[in-house]
Amino acid sequence: MMHSLNKHFRVLATSAAMSLIVMAGAPAFAETPADTLVEGFAFDDIISMDPGEAFELSTAEMTSNTYDLLVRLDLNDTSKIKGDLAESWTVSDDGLTYTFKLKPGLKFASGNPLTAEDVAWSFERAVKIDKSPAFILTQFGLTGDNVTEKAKATDETTFVFTVDKPYAPSFVLNCLTATVASVVDKKLVLEHVEPVTPSDEYKYDNDFGNAWLKTGYAGSGAFKLREWRANEVVVLERNDNYHGEKAGLARVIYRHMKESSGQRLALEAGDIDVARNLEPGDMDAVSKNADLALASAPKGTVYYISLNQKNADLAKPEVIEAFKYLVDYDAIGATLIKGIGEIHQTFLPKGVLGELDENPYKLDVAKAKELLAKAGLADGFSVTMDVRNTQPVTGIAESFQQTLGQAGVKLEILPGDGKQTLTKYRARTHDMYIGQWGQDYFDPNSNAETFTTNPDNSDEGKNKTLAWRNAWDVPELTEETKAALLEKDNAKRAEMYQSLQKSVLEKGPFVIIFQQTEVAGYRANLKNYKLGPSFDTNYVGPVTK
Amino acid sequence: MSQTLQDPPRALSRREWLMSDRPQSRLQARLGRAYMTWRRFSANRLAVAGLCIIVLLVLLAIFADVLAPHSPVIGDLGGARLLPPGTEGYLLGTDDQGRDILSRLLHGSRLTLLVIILVAIIAAPIGLLVGAISGYAGGWVDAVLMRITDIFLAFPKLVLALAFVAAMGPGIENAILAIAITSWPPYARIARAETLSVRNSDYIAAVRLMGASPLRVVLRHVMPMCVSSLIVRVTLDMAGIILTAAGLGFLGLGAQPPLPEWGAMIASGRRFILDQWWVATMPGVAILIVSLGFNLLGDGLRDALDPRESGQ
Repeated sequence: MMHSLNKHFRVLATSAAMSLIVMAGAPAFAETPADTLVEGFAFDDIISMDPGEAFELSTAEMTSNTYDLLVRLDLNDTSKIKGDLAESWTVSDDGLTYTFKLKPGLKFASGNPLTAEDVAWSFERAVKIDKSPAFILTQFGLTGDNVTEKAKATDETTFVFTVDKPYAPSFVLNCLTATVASVVDKKLVLEHVEPVTPSDEYKYDNDFGNAWLKTGYAGSGAFKLREWRANEVVVLERNDNYHGEKAGLARVIYRHMKESSGQRLALEAGDIDVARNLEPGDMDAVSKNADLALASAPKGTVYYISLNQKNADLAKPEVIEAFKYLVDYDAIGATLIKGIGEIHQTFLPKGVLGELDENPYKLDVAKAKELLAKAGLADGFSVTMDVRNTQPVTGIAESFQQTLGQAGVKLEILPGDGKQTLTKYRARTHDMYIGQWGQDYFDPNSNAETFTTNPDNSDEGKNKTLAWRNAWDVPELTEETKAALLEKDNAKRAEMYQSLQKSVLEKGPFVIIFQQTEVAGYRANLKNYKLGPSFDTNYVGPVTK
Repeated sequence: MSQTLQDPPRALSRREWLMSDRPQSRLQARLGRAYMTWRRFSANRLAVAGLCIIVLLVLLAIFADVLAPHSPVIGDLGGARLLPPGTEGYLLGTDDQGRDILSRLLHGSRLTLLVIILVAIIAAPIGLLVGAISGYAGGWVDAVLMRITDIFLAFPKLVLALAFVAAMGPGIENAILAIAITSWPPYARIARAETLSVRNSDYIAAVRLMGASPLRVVLRHVMPMCVSSLIVRVTLDMAGIILTAAGLGFLGLGAQPPLPEWGAMIASGRRFILDQWWVATMPGVAILIVSLGFNLLGDGLRDALDPRESGQ
């Protein structure tokens, strides 16, 4: 018995050794193909690939790589605009009419010619289907009834766009860089429209190809969208009809990977070329690995703590100022948000026209105590803060709780999920709230509007900006923000936003803490891998191996 | 005691006086029984180890202020974040806010004790009362009370506690209430079973013959008979209560920051488990030791208090 067991064992051991030898001949790790970029990315937020409907962060990256726009941000100086499909453009003297001249000989990936007619129809369908990002176009006075007049093609290569007020040209052009203004292939989409019964909410008899475009593709970008399987994979393929410089790689595959640790392991093993959702701990490990590198770029999202002005204590200007001195910015920057954000105390993110790079506040408990004493609250007081159960906000909230405690203010943290805290915040029943604000489009007005305008401070107010949510009644700033929207001179417009930021910095009930940074770990053999200043400027076209 | 020893007429040793099979007074009888129980209990070494753990826990909780080297809530975010155990001044390391884990564990022991004591004070009497009334009254009272108990027993304890906390709002007080509300039904069941076994005994009949009201019978003559088995059950449940409290804390529904509740500490350490293992491990070990202590103690008590084994 013993003998036969030993014999079996010997056979087993030999075959195990043999297989080891065979395996050692092949590479020890899986390598991605030389003409393909594989990214690990959590893209569970994608719900539709229709550029007229998509308003999610992950979709922004897919849309901007597969569709073209009239104009794009100039990545060398993001306060400027450069032409994409448009060769040139002019603005009329009254500031109402924008005339775009398209580049000659443009073609869609399908082979259909791209004309001004396609541009006009893309605007029309985006306005008419009226999905979440449509407000970026309709804020210029476009409606379903007048869009064919206000956005029209006068000839094959001339597109004329009329707005309802003499807005700052930089504002209009910045808004046109949003993915909702992407140009779709009219001829191709019209083959796929589905009939709809008109109703009061939706007055048109067809869906403008919305159902088909949810997973379909009708663009002209550097890549074609070949396939999207929800929570599984997105496959992009090089578009050989692209009007600009052709993409460096034949294929880009996004694999849905939710966990940071999973992405890190796959990146280390070479199963993926880029890991997109690394947490600080895994980021450290990646930065220490010689085969890997990190790319990072500040994004347009700021994290802030806001003080509801309905609370009598929090409404005192000295208290507002004291709280700005009670955040340990340096320690938070060096630890809790290391790699995923940088300290930033003004409401316009870096890279946007009119940014103000000033961080005047430091942790100063003595000064804060002095201010609280001036407000008649030398003995401190109690206050609550609604905190969403996610990092890094809970960590920051706990740190803030400690520093407030040093000044005698007792902070009670009320945790909840995103929906609970947000509902309470929107109903204005909070004391304090910690959260983030991401800009909707790449223009200073997006953040300025929410932080500084509050046309109707009553509970019934329709315009639920952050200023309204915190009951900050500021008629002068509301007017200033509106004026900045109509300022034609770019330099002057930038100055106006800087002055708005200074006002918020001094007396606004917002303790702005940091600006988010997006980080990606990638294998060192990749060339030209870069992240852009916004989620729709993470271009994969220039990447090579 | 020393007086007893010097008492010439009796001339009994302390031990003989306690072990006497003809006690002279009620006090002597009671002390004698307690002594027998203690002897059975102390013969079980594991049970004594459990008792030592619990006594140590109580002492640590009482003297947490003196023993803790740092503040449990104020950390040094910039200078002492995520230091490994054994770092100078931080015996068990620090957490993600730069707080000393040892100090937090010591202060957290107070919360753990608070939860256990309050749950025991709330749940055990409720269970005892419901069970004794149900068992003694019988009939429709019994049916109604036991069906209510069944409803509570039909849900897993943690799930029911979760639902209560979600309804009442997160916080340590609500967590204690929720755990108490969900842990009385087993006690009611035990009390009822004990009551059924004594309700028809002769001494109850005698008390009733003397005109005692049902309330008096239940309170003075039935409930005392249920107490010993209940104590055992409560002690054995302590570990479960600690785990439930830690579970609620882990899910963010128990103690709120910055309270150093052990379950919440594990939850916040979970993010660093790959690279900074000690943040989640230390409170986990604390929960393990205390739960083990209560389990050993409960086992020992069951053996010691079991009436069938009480030789006298």
